[in-house]
Amino acid sequence: MSPSAPHHDDRAPVAGGSEVVATGGVRALARGVLAVRWAVLAWMFALAVIGVVEGRDLAVAVTVVAVVAAWVGWLTVAQPRFTPVVLTADLLVAGGLVVVGARFGWLATVYPVTAALAWGATRGIVGGIVAGGVLGLISVSAGALISTDGPAQSLQVLRDPVYFALAGGGMGFVATLLENSAAQVRAAQAEQVRATEAAARMTERESLGRQIHDSVLQALALVHKRGRELAGRAQVDGAEVGRLADLAAAQERALRTMILRPPDVTGDDGRHASLRERLERAVAAVDGHVTAAVTSTGDIRLPAGHVHEIGAAVDQALQNVVRHAHASRAWVFAEVDGDDVVVDVRDDGTGFDFDEAALRAAGKYGLLRSIGGRVEDLGGRLRIDTAPGRGTELELRVPVPAPVGQEDDG
Amino acid sequence: MSNDERVGAARRTGPPTKVVVVDDHPMWRDGVRADLEADGRSRVVGEAASADEAITVVEGARPDVVLIDLNMPGLPGTVAIQRIAERVPGTRMLVLSASAAEADVLAAVKAGASGYLLKSATGDELVDAVQQVAAGEPVFSPSLAALVLGEFRRVASGGDREQDLTERETEVLRHVARGYTYREIADRLVISVRTVQNHVQSILAKLQLRGRYELMRYAIHRGLDRDDE
Repeated sequence: MSPSAPHHDDRAPVAGGSEVVATGGVRALARGVLAVRWAVLAWMFALAVIGVVEGRDLAVAVTVVAVVAAWVGWLTVAQPRFTPVVLTADLLVAGGLVVVGARFGWLATVYPVTAALAWGATRGIVGGIVAGGVLGLISVSAGALISTDGPAQSLQVLRDPVYFALAGGGMGFVATLLENSAAQVRAAQAEQVRATEAAARMTERESLGRQIHDSVLQALALVHKRGRELAGRAQVDGAEVGRLADLAAAQERALRTMILRPPDVTGDDGRHASLRERLERAVAAVDGHVTAAVTSTGDIRLPAGHVHEIGAAVDQALQNVVRHAHASRAWVFAEVDGDDVVVDVRDDGTGFDFDEAALRAAGKYGLLRSIGGRVEDLGGRLRIDTAPGRGTELELRVPVPAPVGQEDDG
Repeated sequence: MSNDERVGAARRTGPPTKVVVVDDHPMWRDGVRADLEADGRSRVVGEAASADEAITVVEGARPDVVLIDLNMPGLPGTVAIQRIAERVPGTRMLVLSASAAEADVLAAVKAGASGYLLKSATGDELVDAVQQVAAGEPVFSPSLAALVLGEFRRVASGGDREQDLTERETEVLRHVARGYTYREIADRLVISVRTVQNHVQSILAKLQLRGRYELMRYAIHRGLDRDDE
């Protein structure tokens, strides 16, 4: 992962990309080593066939080739991660083959070196040298103890350990080079992400600055100026002071909304959006004589399609309140209840007898049906709770497809 | 949070409620003092301009209610709330803040505040809330109720039933969040207003218990002992 861990999903692809770069080189090396194993296995098979034809031990030939083929086959099919366990097993197979090669010279191959290569590819220079060294030592001891050729002489003793260690260490060197260049690419990408983030913050700051300037600062300037004028008068007009207070209150609300909206979290990123933000917009659009407010258990992030549909349904419900309910107040409440998101739109209006036929006749059913349709399209249901004189409560209950991020998941 | 038509504390006769006002803006303190004294049911017995000063003043003046801002220079208001709750138990605290940020609201209530008012609240709302808090009743606005409900839903208690809401408490909280008054909730759930009030008190107590557990876990996690100076 890049050093600046991704904060939200739209940055994940970038981090994922550097991950691919980081492991791509090493993976190519691992594939190369695997190809070498197959080639050597084929060679070993040929040696075994020739050996058997020439009268060598059939059982030995079959056992050795079968064990190596099984191991290489498993490595190919299972594509295991090279954990210490897998690497150790690989080293054991290779060590076994060194011993076999010492005992049955006609079956000796370069297969064991692939284990040193694998160690080098996954554990770097030191890993490669250590694995190669171990194999070399096995080779020397096996040569001394069980070789049919008799013990090797002088410098010859060092030949196998040096070759093995060189192979492993060389591979380790290549792997380290790849790793380093991948790290450089990662660092460059992280730097780019940081730069993009900084630019985004700057843009956000500028836009916030503009909004504050356009509305809040102007209002403050007006309150300041009118306040001074009023202070200088002998008779103060209460209505005028009231208007100033309203102006300040409206700007207070606007500023609070502006500050409370963390741009990175609640903005619509095309896939997910904040239900609360959408509901606040719905409530802000409600016409003057009904006072409406939103409460919510959190930000409630949902797929953008859900937010759109639920928001449209709530718009319609609030229109209904304004047009038909004779209400003075409305409450919109949103919560996540288990796997459902529940939105409740309530008013203190006259309420009505819930009688479909009568409602249809009065031309009041259309909106309710339309709200219900939207909710049902999302797999949810609409509950209506009303009676004359008791106000009306609509409950929209919609199942949520994905885990719901609330906020601040902290 | 202006829609508070709570069945608040009955108008009490007897000695006025003693209030300490904590805010770093002198003008704001004056305004609050004027509101409280005009109402006649409360008397301001002390003022403080910072969280540190608040702790000292409260220990000296022993008020019934502390009206406290959160964002002040020096220690945050939540720390003062927590220390006062520890050192002068029984003091009711009401937050009066310009911030409606969820994190602030929840942190203050978990630290031990009995209610949270925005500074945009009217003078009447303020004096009523002070009376309500003085009578030992939490001031739960619909939006605070919604946040608290979200908090209980979001953060599992790890099976500690002392810290979980009962079904009835959840039901009451959902009603408060939907804007119902205690009287309306009582009617809908066919219980008494007193029972609704008890549920709300118990919800607040559980939230504050969670707050204390969190602080303890945090202290243990950081390898710190309680900071008692």
